Amino acid sequence: MSVELEVHNSQGLPTEEMTLNMGPQHPSTHGVLRFIVKADGEVMRRAIPDIGYLHRSIEKIAEKVGWHGFMPYTDRVDYVAAMACNQGWAMAAEQLADIEVPRRGEYCRVIAAELSRICSHLLGVGAMGMDMGAITPFTHAIRERDMIMDLIEELCGARLTFNYMRIGGVAWDLPHGFVEKVSHYLDHLEPVIEEFNQLLGFNRIYVKRLADVATVDADMAIAWGLVGPNLRGSGVDFDVRRDLPYSVYEDFDFDVPLGSGEMGSIGDSWDRYIVRMREMVESIRILRQALAGIPEGPVIARVARNFKPPVGDVHVKIEAPRGEQSWYVSSDGSEYPHRVHIRTGSFTAMGIIDRLSHGLMIADLVAVIASMDIVAPEVDR
Amino acid sequence: MSAVTSWLQNVTASCSTVFEGLSITFSHFFRKPYTVEYPDRIETRVQDTLPFRYRGMLEVDLEICTGCLACERACPIECIVIEATKDKATRQLMINRFDIDLAKCMYCGLCSEPCPTGSIHHTREFEGSDYSLESMMRRYVKFPVAAYKPKKTGEDDPEIMPVLERGMRYLDEFAQPAAKPASGATSSSESTSSSESTSSSGTTDPGSGTG
Amino acid sequence: MQAFLDTFLGDAAGLERQLGYLAGMAVFGSVVVFGFVLPFAGIVTWAERRIWARIQSRVGPNRVGPFGFLQWLADGVKNILKEDLIPTVADRPLFRFAPYVVMVGFIAAFVCVPFSSDLIIADLNIGILYVTAVTSLVVVGILMAGWSSNNRWSLLGGIRAATQIISYEIPASLSIFPAVLLSGTLSMQGIIGAQGAAPWQWHMFHSPFTLLGFGLFFTAALAEGNRTPFDLAEAESELVAGFATEYSGMRSTLFFMAEWGNLYVIGALVTTLYMGGWQLPQFTYNPVLMNLAQAGVFMGKSFACVFFMIWLRATLPRVRVDQLMAMCWKYMVPLAMLSVFGTATLMVALPNGSHTLRMATFAVVVGVVIRFAFKVRFHLKRARELDYSSLSSGASQGLSS
Repeated sequence: MSVELEVHNSQGLPTEEMTLNMGPQHPSTHGVLRFIVKADGEVMRRAIPDIGYLHRSIEKIAEKVGWHGFMPYTDRVDYVAAMACNQGWAMAAEQLADIEVPRRGEYCRVIAAELSRICSHLLGVGAMGMDMGAITPFTHAIRERDMIMDLIEELCGARLTFNYMRIGGVAWDLPHGFVEKVSHYLDHLEPVIEEFNQLLGFNRIYVKRLADVATVDADMAIAWGLVGPNLRGSGVDFDVRRDLPYSVYEDFDFDVPLGSGEMGSIGDSWDRYIVRMREMVESIRILRQALAGIPEGPVIARVARNFKPPVGDVHVKIEAPRGEQSWYVSSDGSEYPHRVHIRTGSFTAMGIIDRLSHGLMIADLVAVIASMDIVAPEVDR
Repeated sequence: MSAVTSWLQNVTASCSTVFEGLSITFSHFFRKPYTVEYPDRIETRVQDTLPFRYRGMLEVDLEICTGCLACERACPIECIVIEATKDKATRQLMINRFDIDLAKCMYCGLCSEPCPTGSIHHTREFEGSDYSLESMMRRYVKFPVAAYKPKKTGEDDPEIMPVLERGMRYLDEFAQPAAKPASGATSSSESTSSSESTSSSGTTDPGSGTG
Repeated sequence: MQAFLDTFLGDAAGLERQLGYLAGMAVFGSVVVFGFVLPFAGIVTWAERRIWARIQSRVGPNRVGPFGFLQWLADGVKNILKEDLIPTVADRPLFRFAPYVVMVGFIAAFVCVPFSSDLIIADLNIGILYVTAVTSLVVVGILMAGWSSNNRWSLLGGIRAATQIISYEIPASLSIFPAVLLSGTLSMQGIIGAQGAAPWQWHMFHSPFTLLGFGLFFTAALAEGNRTPFDLAEAESELVAGFATEYSGMRSTLFFMAEWGNLYVIGALVTTLYMGGWQLPQFTYNPVLMNLAQAGVFMGKSFACVFFMIWLRATLPRVRVDQLMAMCWKYMVPLAMLSVFGTATLMVALPNGSHTLRMATFAVVVGVVIRFAFKVRFHLKRARELDYSSLSSGASQGLSS
């Protein structure tokens, strides 16, 4: 990076830009992200992202391990919300081979995905609080996340890399007493979310840190390819679960929260925060409906051990917690996929940060990264 | 005038939200902490509180291993190495080597699903840290053993029966596809007697087409 | 203190007497610093971690010693044993000198802290002015640290801290005025002397203006001490450790001891100025007992302030640097002016003070505290305490109480 000397400030006096490195190791919880910040004192001119520190060639590995064997690797695409990635891969393979998942299996998938969505949003808003300096809401969010992980551990045996879904359904049926336990937990979670909002979300200092910071209006959000809560925070009413429904989401009645500029302008960082909080409430709604209406039956369809889908491509979109994840899978008829490409929400969100950071302060850069809910595994795969 | 009102609003909003926040954090002093003080200040071992499905460290019960190599094929990270050869003299399948590299294993559970008897299964152990990488390689075969042949009339060997029961109970946790009868609480002897044992468990059917 | 030393010096005169005073002050100062201040700075870390832990639904350090009480000693020993790293590109003399400047700035304030009616190292007649002046040395130390580290992040942290501390000197000093005006003296013992033992006799409740002064002084002192919500100089998630990033081992411990010890200085100042200091109704004529009891009262009040600051840090996010400046100049300075002029006007209008106004202010604060208690109860009832053991197959059955 060449240092730009002889930059002139507003009074025409020559000054120098400071190049700072917000390196791959830093105490904020978003993983290994690196930004090269060019700043004039506290005010940034550019924040150039440098990605690739967590690249694990997951897409290439798919070509080696085969259709069934890739499922555990999808957990690692976004380990904060692994169920959604499982679902994306399973749906892609099922669409290629025209497999129908039994209804109970779909309901199990929805329950798992929504629990995972709550987990992911808890981590996202908790990390946001911690980046702003509020250390307590983070620990409360992690505590709730831990309780959900206890539930999921009963369901599938693991707490982070679930490997719960299979091509054709899910691997384990709901254990005895699971429905009661989850309902009991959801009763506990609702007041916790309200409390979290009162402690952090509506706190004046927090609002002032986030309102009108890095405002992304609807056109800019669409032009830069933002997805998920980032897009909805800018007021664009699009949710894959409702608009391009997959699985059994059509059976459920839920709202899609949008940013409305309550505390500043539409599309500022606070809007993205509150969209996530409200999405958690909607997820609880979906969960209650799913738990109440889950049908009897098998949870997985019969699928061959040496699964060989016909030749073809498929492009599957799911609503992961960080936004719309697209899975492009190409099959050449063999036991190994020909090409897998995963397009994640965090990747494009990284791109817009450079555009937004002009004129922001360095303290705001952390706020923006946190409000976009960027996690390194999704960016780099 | 609006500047003054917004100024006053700022002051009052700050004070009231700080007050609210302080009351929430103060209320936490009267709540129990969530911490589990592992490993020494807990009543029961954590391993005993984990669900039966928990995917801890792998273990192989060689008494009931049929040598079908389904787990080796299923593993996505190639951490299982098995050598099973048919002994020309005794016409029996002998298992000479069964190594699991726990350092590579990613605890996904894909190996335990296709096992016909549940001999390879996840335990509830998770404390595996050690000082050397070599100790992570678990070699389950000390001397070549004969592969297990499930009996059509049910298992009657008293030593093998509990092991098989546990294995089948582990496999019962996995979901079954529609065409098979619901596994429910089938006892181990019945399910081994239908010694379609290669397909009475697990979710995938070997070679039954792409459907 | 001087009276106490006089009993030893008898009728020595001139230089001998002065040297005797000096020796006495040095001894007492050492006792205070090494026996109280530095251990307290360590113990407050333990208290901070335990208090934060309960607020965060977890248990703090509880293995090293009973209730983890020796954790701070263990941390201190660990820090001493660490390698003393000085970056090659750092400015070595300044780098080494900076922590000492910060420590001096902070410890020198203890000369005037009145622990009880006799336990004060030196009762300067400009007591509070001295304390305010000497704590400003900390700015020099922080700037030295930020500059000499030769690290852009440290520089940013150092500059942020310097602007913050210098700016907040104004509202802090302005909010001292109501207490000084009411007491008629700058001397610490004098200010305490003007207050009484009962809560409504404290300067804090004299009128709404002094209540405002109390709130402003507390906030401004928080900003001086680099505590959340004003801890952007060492904002962990942004700047690693701000001006202290390049420091390791004992040098960094000195910085942080100064910060934690500053908590006590803030508590002591607030107690002296607004909360009645060591005032206690005379229950015995034994001076030793009386002094000990007064010291106990003083400690209790200061520790309550320290607890409040720890609690506040756990609750609030931090403000951004421009918002910090806006808050200082646009909000706190005008309010501080208001409190000064209000107090002065009241003193002219009602020279003997107004008992009703005092009791009314006290009643308002008591009302706020009661409302707070109700809010706490509301939150406790709303959070339906989950019986953890019913959740999973019992992973939380192992909860120890």
